[in-house]
Amino acid sequence: MLGLAADRLRADMNRLLAFLFHQGILDEQFLQLQQLQDESSPNFVSEVVNIYFHESEKLLRSLRSLLMDREFSDYNKMGIHLNQFMGSSSSIGANRIRNVCVAFRAASEQNNRAGCLRALELLEHEYCFLKNKLHELFQIEQQRVLAAGVRYPMQNI
Amino acid sequence: MTAMQRVMQSNVSTSAATTTCYGGLSSCKGEEVMISDQFPAGLRVLVVDDDITCLRILEQMLRRCLYIVTTCSQAKLALDLLRERKGCFDVILSDVYMPDMDGYKLLEHVGLEMDLPVIMMSADGRTSAVMKGIRHGACDYLIKPIREEELKNIWQHVVRKKWNENKDLEHSGSLDDADRHKRGNDDAEYASSVNDATDASLKALRKRSNAKEEDDGEIENDDPSASKKPRVVWSVELHQQFVSAVNQLGIDKAVPKRILELMNVPGLTRENVASHLQKFRLYLKRISGVAQQGGISNPLCGPVEPNVKIGSLGRFNIQALAASGQIPPQTLAALHAELLGQPTSNLVTAMDHPALLQASLQGPKCIQVDHGATFVQPIVKCESSSSKHFPQSFAPVEDVTSGFRAWPSNNIVTAGPSNNGGLSSQNGNMLFDLLQQQLQKPQQQSTVPELRRSINVQPSCHVAPSQSSAGFQAGNSPVSVTQNSSFSRTAVIDYSFLLSQSNCSSLSIGQVSDVNLQTTGILSGYIPPASVSPSVSSCSVNADNCASQQVQTPNMINKASRNMPGFVHSTSNGQDPYGSTKSGDLLDQAPFNNVGYINKGTCLPARFPVHEFQLPLSSSSLGKVFSENIGTRVKQEPNMEFEDNARVGIPMLQQFPPNDLMSIFTE
Repeated sequence: MLGLAADRLRADMNRLLAFLFHQGILDEQFLQLQQLQDESSPNFVSEVVNIYFHESEKLLRSLRSLLMDREFSDYNKMGIHLNQFMGSSSSIGANRIRNVCVAFRAASEQNNRAGCLRALELLEHEYCFLKNKLHELFQIEQQRVLAAGVRYPMQNI
Repeated sequence: MTAMQRVMQSNVSTSAATTTCYGGLSSCKGEEVMISDQFPAGLRVLVVDDDITCLRILEQMLRRCLYIVTTCSQAKLALDLLRERKGCFDVILSDVYMPDMDGYKLLEHVGLEMDLPVIMMSADGRTSAVMKGIRHGACDYLIKPIREEELKNIWQHVVRKKWNENKDLEHSGSLDDADRHKRGNDDAEYASSVNDATDASLKALRKRSNAKEEDDGEIENDDPSASKKPRVVWSVELHQQFVSAVNQLGIDKAVPKRILELMNVPGLTRENVASHLQKFRLYLKRISGVAQQGGISNPLCGPVEPNVKIGSLGRFNIQALAASGQIPPQTLAALHAELLGQPTSNLVTAMDHPALLQASLQGPKCIQVDHGATFVQPIVKCESSSSKHFPQSFAPVEDVTSGFRAWPSNNIVTAGPSNNGGLSSQNGNMLFDLLQQQLQKPQQQSTVPELRRSINVQPSCHVAPSQSSAGFQAGNSPVSVTQNSSFSRTAVIDYSFLLSQSNCSSLSIGQVSDVNLQTTGILSGYIPPASVSPSVSSCSVNADNCASQQVQTPNMINKASRNMPGFVHSTSNGQDPYGSTKSGDLLDQAPFNNVGYINKGTCLPARFPVHEFQLPLSSSSLGKVFSENIGTRVKQEPNMEFEDNARVGIPMLQQFPPNDLMSIFTE
């Protein structure tokens, strides 16, 4: 019975992953991350992803504050933030976010403030979406581990 | 008396000991690497990156490579660490954009003070950025996201550097006195554990790096550290003056003093001329006696610069590039081949001799003539194998010519793969113009991980020393891996050649115009045609090939292979999709994102670098999208988000001009 739950959960997880890959939200780099997880770092993926979330939120906030500033003119600074965001996003495999960053960067290079704003909004949207999905993924994973670990007393005899 | 004698003796012995010590230490450094049994495991790497995510990922990857990793998120801290723990690190990985210190500054500091190989990393993979890295003397330039395979090969930079240093020391015998002094100083530097901060060591190191030279006129090190001498770069004009002076004097009689007088260049010192002369002599020796150089003992023959400098480079300041530190020799080789191949360039040496060309290609760059042959054949093979896909006959050169927007001098001769030299020159020309084009357009390397291993098929590069004909086995040639990361466009050829390899993991794409070769992994190209369709259809070839290999999810693949033909159709309208139809780019993203997932394992994902082009967010289209999606999304149920997402996807695409591709999506 519980075995079924674990299997079902694994199926859910795979389905979610397949969806994320299919939609281009994640790419192979995420798989690389999963492969890096081993006995020495059993929670590597969630650790890295949490770092990513933490850092990204900081970046997004500073990007927004930059753009909201009435006298904003430092596109260079924005470019630097963007570059970091792009780097970390691509490193964890957040493909769509990275793509939006590219568009964002293009707009910023043209000093196109309106375009930057739009890109930022899209970026925030994509980011939130990814975050929700990844949280969901981790939840399923957790449940699966739990389900796989539970044993009925009778089974141990 | 006896006491004094004893003292004297002990003095002598200690001085003898010290001299051997100096000599010994310098050679020790080279041997160190070779005799270590853990090699390359245990390589001590210092990673500097302000992005904690990347730092953590890199750390894990490097640990998996069995390297000893130290991470640091601030450049200043890293420098302090390096200064304190001298000799505790073998190689440094540094990000380019860091808040407290520019990555290039760090690079310069490290180069000056510790002379460790530094590998730059960045999410910014545009050629201009990569070029900047090279110019600053980075050993390599990796583009994020970084794959484990790339990190596995970073040890080569350590080895290479050590070997180069040893070679330089070997050649110290041929130096005149001033240079010998320099070398002596260098040995002293090796031997002594002098702190970098001292002026003496700085000066000695600078003298040595003076020999490597840097940008003419520009003083790029604007760091405020101690005594700074402006470096000399041997630009084309300067080198021409030098060469004419040498010719005038006669190569045997050419002494630095007289050359200096003849050149009459203000600010040029005798030492500059002397070191340049030494390199020139070595180069001449090399190209004259080069035919016997079969197996390559070390991948980078010592002073590579002279080879490039010999040619007068019209379009590119190759010399400057070459001179400015450790340009990966493959790059130099590529550029060199380009130079040599240019029929119109006014080369001083007998470049027109194909034999000499091949010889010079061979020697310093350790390139075999049969490599040239190898290169030629694949192209021909490619043509036959994929003839059904490419309606046009195999006339890559002309196509390329027409396709390139900026084609400064049309050196491409019509003859196809008629001779190695010709072909290599054509490729070289393409390389150059690709580079130029890249410099003009800001571009972004998309992240097709496997594609980092795309082979740079420039005839003059990427030859794994021990392999003669199968030069481009991607997996086996560490050289190619990292090189490609810096010169993405140069994977001009070798499509079917690689296909014929058993492991098809190294398919490179030859694409022209603005397509970044790295991203177009599987889309192996032959000589990049101007129109995108042939290369695009080549991706359908590969998609088919790879579809037959391991497959992750069937639906992904189907979609991809459906997309491929669609894409082919869409681009066969002759116009360059990447260049002009910018709005189509976003559209192109989706299929290729999916395509990217097809191939696991050996096959490289075929992805088009859509996102590297400017995507002007036209107010009409994106605005609509944004207004739809803003605000409500985040907290919704997952299912809802799925639908919303789907809606996001499609409307965005529908904004763009209808296309065959579109039909695929609306199916």
